[in-house]
Amino acid sequence: MKLLMHASQINGLPVVTVQGGEDVAEVRDVIYSPEAGHLVGLTLNKRGFLSGRRREVLPAGAIHAIGRDAVMVDDESRLVLPEDAPDDVAHPGADRNVMGDDVLTESGASLGTVRDLVLLVGSAGDVVGYEIEKVDGGRGYIPLPAQLAVSGSALVVPDITEEFVRDDLVGLGAAVDDFRARLGLR
Amino acid sequence: MDAVNWLVLVLIVLLLAALAFVVIRRRGRAGGVFATRDKR
Repeated sequence: MKLLMHASQINGLPVVTVQGGEDVAEVRDVIYSPEAGHLVGLTLNKRGFLSGRRREVLPAGAIHAIGRDAVMVDDESRLVLPEDAPDDVAHPGADRNVMGDDVLTESGASLGTVRDLVLLVGSAGDVVGYEIEKVDGGRGYIPLPAQLAVSGSALVVPDITEEFVRDDLVGLGAAVDDFRARLGLR
Repeated sequence: MDAVNWLVLVLIVLLLAALAFVVIRRRGRAGGVFATRDKR
């Protein structure tokens, strides 16, 4: 089943094995590729209120499914050590956290700041848009692929993104296809 | 009375230390949403 989820809803989800139903970790960070528009992996915490980080990470290819209540993996061996994982997943740069980044159009207008990332989960984990806090204080959603660049502090998006700001997730779902068609991506 | 004061002081210090430990530990578990570097 496919559903739209916020990245912040994935943070903290348990990682459970399909074979055995063991609860082996908890999601710490969500790492995605803005260029490719999909999830590339997850970093993990150990289970338990006061437990620390788990050294192993979970590349997107090793994920069986992401659901509303858990991230499923086939078994614990799917968790890989950082030295065996893609560098983007093993070492997400501290300056690459997009939460709170400004969203600017190419012509320099601010659309707001990033509050969350919206993913289509169920299988691969496609990134479909961002939740933003609009300049006027309200909440809005913009579709992806939208940004041309992610710097340390701002996402720069095409000017037409301004026409596709929606107030809710349902609106975003409908806007993504139109937006991509307008950009000639589909 | 002096001993009681010391005991209370030690307990307060221990409590603050435990609180700091929990806060630091919980903050260390907080996650984020990271974009990969542009490879174009």
